[in-house]
Parts: sequence; C-alpha cells; structure tokens
Amino acid sequence: MGSKAKKPFIVIVAFVMCLSMTGCFDKREVDDLVNPIAIGFDKGEGNSIRMTLQIAIPTKVAGGGDGGGGGGGGESVSFTTVEAPSIYSGLNMINTYVSKQLNMSQIKVVVFSEELAREGIEKYINALIRGREFRPNSYMLVARGTGNVAERYLRAVEPELESNPAKYYEMVLSAYRYTGFSANTSIINFYKNMVSESTQPLAVLADISQFENSDDINTDNSTYREKGRDYPLEGDFKAGDMPKVGTIKSEIMGLAVFNGSKMVGEFDGEETQLQLMLEGNFGYSFVTIPDPLSADNVVPLNIRQNRNPKRKVEIIDGKPNIKVKVFLEADILSIQSGINYESIDKVTILETSAEKFFEKGLMRMLKKTAQELRSDTAGFGKEMKGKFFTWDEWTDFKWIEKYPDSKFEVEVDFKIRRPGLMLRTNPATGTEEGEQ
Amino acid sequence: MEDKVIFGKREVISLLLLFICNQLILGFPSIMSNSAGTAGWIMTIYVSIIALCLFLIISKLYSAFEGKDLLDIGEFVGGNIGRIIVGLIVVIDIAFIISIKLREYAEHIKIISFTQSPIDFLVLFFALGMIISVYFGIEPLARSAAIFIPFIAIGIIIIVAGSIQNFELSNIMPILGTGSYDIFVGGLPRVSIYSGLISILFIPPFMGDIKNIKRIGILVITISGTVLTLGILAYLLVFPYPTSSNTALPFFELSRVLEYGRFFQRIESIFLLIWSLTGLIYLSCGLFIIVYVFSKAFKLKYYRPLILPVAIILSTLSLIPKSLIEIMYIDNRIIRYYSWIVTFGMTLVLLTIARLMKRKRGGITKNGK
Repeated sequence: MGSKAKKPFIVIVAFVMCLSMTGCFDKREVDDLVNPIAIGFDKGEGNSIRMTLQIAIPTKVAGGGDGGGGGGGGESVSFTTVEAPSIYSGLNMINTYVSKQLNMSQIKVVVFSEELAREGIEKYINALIRGREFRPNSYMLVARGTGNVAERYLRAVEPELESNPAKYYEMVLSAYRYTGFSANTSIINFYKNMVSESTQPLAVLADISQFENSDDINTDNSTYREKGRDYPLEGDFKAGDMPKVGTIKSEIMGLAVFNGSKMVGEFDGEETQLQLMLEGNFGYSFVTIPDPLSADNVVPLNIRQNRNPKRKVEIIDGKPNIKVKVFLEADILSIQSGINYESIDKVTILETSAEKFFEKGLMRMLKKTAQELRSDTAGFGKEMKGKFFTWDEWTDFKWIEKYPDSKFEVEVDFKIRRPGLMLRTNPATGTEEGEQ
Repeated sequence: MEDKVIFGKREVISLLLLFICNQLILGFPSIMSNSAGTAGWIMTIYVSIIALCLFLIISKLYSAFEGKDLLDIGEFVGGNIGRIIVGLIVVIDIAFIISIKLREYAEHIKIISFTQSPIDFLVLFFALGMIISVYFGIEPLARSAAIFIPFIAIGIIIIVAGSIQNFELSNIMPILGTGSYDIFVGGLPRVSIYSGLISILFIPPFMGDIKNIKRIGILVITISGTVLTLGILAYLLVFPYPTSSNTALPFFELSRVLEYGRFFQRIESIFLLIWSLTGLIYLSCGLFIIVYVFSKAFKLKYYRPLILPVAIILSTLSLIPKSLIEIMYIDNRIIRYYSWIVTFGMTLVLLTIARLMKRKRGGITKNGK
C-alpha cells in the first residue's frame, strides 16, 4: 500500500474500531439501571421462593447528609417482593414493573430465611456463583425465625448513620473485626466450604429486635443458662435476642451453622468469637470475664489474637484427636471489684482465670460442633488433609463422617499486656456500706 | 517474501512468552486442577521440565541448521515436497489452535463484559484487530509484545500478590493430588501447553545476527514455567479442589475475589486490560505465523493478500463449535493433549532425519556444525 493510501486506511480503520468498541449490543446507560443492594429469599408456595430486593434510590443516596433525602434508610431504598420458581425468573418478573433494568453487581448482602436454610440452599448458592453479576464477596446471612423473615429483616434495616445503605452493610458486616460477633461469610467462602471435604460453611445470623421499649427488655432467650452461668455476658445472645431497644431494629449476631448446604444449628455471639479464634480470624474485641476473686463482679478486657492458633489432628484408635492452642493477649478495661489485678503477683490470677474461661468455652463449643451439630466449622479437616498423599485416599477417609467422634484437647495462652491508663484501682472513700 | 524485518532478542522472548503464558488467563489453571487435583502446580513444573528436556534435544539437533527455519529444514530433507508438507502440517496445526482460541477469547469476553453481543460480532471484533496488526507485519507485533509485556506482568503480579491474603496452604493438600500416575504419566501429553514453542523455529530469519535459539528457548521455558506455576499455585491456594476444577475463567475469578477495604475492590478491570492485550497480540501472532508459513511453503512472493482470506477462514472455523462447552472440551481434550505431536514430535523427527542426512552428506563436523 502506498503511503498516500495508508493514512486514509488507518483513519477508516480507527473509525470502524471506535464504532465497534462502543459495544452497541451491550450499551446500558447508567441512568437506565437500578441497583439492588440486598436480596432476601424466603420459602414460597410449593417449590417457589419469595424474593425480596432492597433497591437503592440513587438520587436519595447521593443526597447524603445535606438533607436531600439521606439519613433515613427507609427513604434511600425501596423494596419489592416477588414469588418465583427461581432467582432469575424472579428478577425477570421484577423487571416488568421496575422502570429501570436490574443490575445485581452492587448486591452486598444475600439473606436466606431460616426455613429455607434448614431445607438446603445448594441450588440458590450455585445460581449465585454461576451468575456473572453477583459479587463473590457479598455477605451471606440467615434470618432467624419462621415465615417471611428474610423480607422482614431487610425491611427493618434502617441505617441511621449512613445515607448510603450499601455502605451500611459493608460497615456493619465487617464489624466482626472489632466485635467478633459475626464473621466474613462471603458467598464464595460459603460455596467453597459447602463443597469441601474438610470444613463446613457458616452464615451470619440476622433478625430484628424483639423488644419495643425498655420495659420489655429481658434476657429470657439468652444462652447463659445453658452455659451454667448466673448472669448473661455480652456474647450470650443471638441476633434478635439482644436486650436492646432503639430506632435500629435490625440485629446481626452469631452464626448459622451448616452441614453441607443445610443449616443444622446456631452459634451465639460468644461461640462466634471462639470460632474466629479457632480459625485465627479474631481481630480484637471487648470481652467480659467473671472476676476470679469476686463472684458478683466482672472484668472487661480488650482481647486480641496475636498469633494464629496451633492446631494438630491425629487419629487415635480410629477417632480424631484434636489439639488446639489459642494465643490471646489483653488490656484491662475495668476491674469492678477494685482488686489490684494490675500487680505482678495478682495478674497471674486473672490470666489463669481467663485461660480457664476460654478453655471451658472452647471445649463446650467444640463438643457442640461435633456431637450436636456434627459439623466441622473450624475446618480441622484441613489439618488432616495434609496427612494424605492423594485425593482419593483423603475422600475415602471420610473426614466429615469421622468428625463427630472427635476428642478435643484445648489450651489457651493468655497474657495481660497493659492495664490501660490506670496502674491500680483505688477504692472509693465514704461512710456508706461497701465503701472505705 | 515481502520486506525483510529484523528484531531483537527482547522482542522474540516477549512474543514467545505471550504465546505460551496467554493460557494462564484462559482455562489453563482449571484444566490443570482437573487433571491433577491439588497437584496441578506440580504437574505444571513437571511438564515444564519435560518441555525443557525436549527443547534441549531439539536445539542440539537444530545446531547444525542455525539461521534456518523449520521450512528450510523440511526442504533440506524432502525438497519442495518436504517444505510444503512441513508447511501444511504447521499451518493446519496453528490454524486449528488459533481458531479455537479465537472463539475462546470471544466467548470469554461475552461472559465477562459483552453479554448481549452476538458471538459472531465478537469474533469479528477480534478478527479485525488481527487483520490490521498482521497487515502491518511482525515487527510492530513483536515490538508491541515487548512494550506490553511489562504491563501484563504487572497486572498478573497485582492479581497474584493481591490474592496472598486469601491463600490457604491446606488447599494444595493432599500434595500429590489425584495421584502420581495422573501427574507423571497422565500429565505427559500436557507438555502440549508448550506447543507455542514451535514459533521459535520460524523466527530465525527475523533475528538477524542473533543465532542463539537455545539460550532464548531455555529462557522462555524457564520464565513461562515459573509464571504458569506461580499462577496456578496462586489459583489453587485460593480455590480449593474441587472448586478449582470447575471454574470457567479461573484467573478472572481470582481477580474478582480480591478486595482490600472499601476502596480497593473490583480488580477485574485490571484483568480485562491484560486479557485483551494478551489475546489480541497472541491471536495476531498466530495469524501471522499461518500466513507467513503458508506463503513460504508455497514460495509466494507476498503474504499480505493471504491475511484477509485466512482471517475469514479462521473466524468461520471458530464459529463451528456449538458452544463454549464444546470449545472447552476441544481445548482441554485435543489441543492440550495432542498439540505436542507437531511441536515436539514432528520437529524431532524432522531434525533427526535432517541431521542424519547432513551427516551422510558430510555436512556435519565434529563440533556438530
């Protein structure tokens, strides 16, 4: 080609390329799309599912804090519920009456009702993983109770501090890093664990508060009695049971435990913290332990997991023998009794007591997973897997069937690092009883 | 032939790396996981060593023919007929692979981004890019490869390094995966992942003074072996078997799960960039080799008139398989099982015969030249 013809040729080609690159078949104006941020699934009639979408209203979300409509979750989102034979047929139905096309790529939360979860959610998880628009990092939740609980939960979510409800979900569901009361239960993690031969999946428990005003508050549904305690600690609750009232009705606390794709039980807040410790995913959290020398008092501590746990699995007489050593360190937040646990000679009393407290909790929780739930939630099978050379040998071993027969040995290494800003507690002085 | 172009060692290495490593962003990690389970990465190391050994034998045999390409050697062995037969075998082999890969790239872009676009439009989209780049010749292609390879490498490094937070060592246990037989015997045909190495034997005429094919080959196999192994290892460390064996777009999936806080999300956009760059350069190189080999085999003076018809044939061939499932099957069960026959099998046979003939004619001295 001569140099004269070359330039026009390049221009024509560039023009054609520019036109074809606009993706005319796939053009979707941002303004023509609507972004649901949460999706809920309840059991429908027969084999149908009842699907609820929480849809962000862009103009309201963009209004932010300047009074343009932000501030109230109810204003920045809208809801729709449809009964359909499958997720995608439901989306199709919703597209007939929502003016904009649904785009699922902003979904942050997927909520399943407890009823559906107990029946098994494999087919829905597979559909979500297969779908290109659904994000693998969306959080998996199970709404407690019967009936349309997923819908009820989503409609109760009213973020007050966030004008953007998507940000609210991101923030509240990543709070496990500093509370330990939930976990990173993304869809992809759920799916990986659901098909795994060495561990079982978990999902965050969600519900709405059962108390309307302060006078109604009680701890009847707390798990503290099952644990043999005289009073509840902050982790002895599951979502919906927390003794609280307020404008935020929605609650997340605890985990739904699955065996394969079927929900088989629940962890309360404390068991969730212990689960995170066993995985090595416990960030830090305020944890209250009973005062070792004063039965009526407690010692709140700021606990961190500074090292991954040591985990060892052996087969003795055909049964798994699981040894775990958890390493924790803490700062003292308060000593209600005023006993000088900050001193060199007394700090070991508190450390030993904390070690026993966590060892007891871990042992109780592990026995529950093995004997009651029959589900290896902490993934000890991963340790066992390394002892085999081939995949067939490993699957023939049938770890998941052997796990319920496991025996556990738990050890906690607990160290108090800092006493906070006070080096010792001085008693209040006065003439009343109990004061000096 | 048309204007004689010459490019350097860096360009050659970049082209060959793209030719081999492009598989990482297609279905390669899933396929290796499917073949050897958790030991897919061991199988990759193993086939890389096998490929290196085979290449060393080839380069030893080839040393007597430095500066010549496979067609010249074919001519040396069987005259015009020999050259044409070798040329046709290579053309058919590469045309088959490129047509399947063309469809695979188009199907993947349909899954990832252009979900509503008809597949023939997407194939056309790639074919147009191939035609234009090949029209301008191998030199711009080689230089583009050399320019883009650092960007592609950075993209891959970001995805692999970003995945470290999701790594779990237990995912590659049991260490021998589906078993040593699957890795070391069943894995032998998987040496086909290095079938792109055949292009090294067509490059000498473009290399000017650079004669050391052996050193380039060793370097390319070592780098690609390392990249492929690290890529599949990263993938397996994130996705446990059997999840790892049933992902249609493994590396895309790897990039999708990357997340650092609320700001560093949706990294797959990086993947799309490296994916399209790699795809276009790879497919264009494939088209160039086809037209170049064909024109040289039949001693045609110009190769450019062949570009359009060959591109149309490749596009048409690529549309024959009915679905992505069929494409994946062909890629997994045919290309990645049998393409070694041409790259290593035919080349070894041809070079052995050529060397024997040269020795018979007294053309080889003691030092092998």
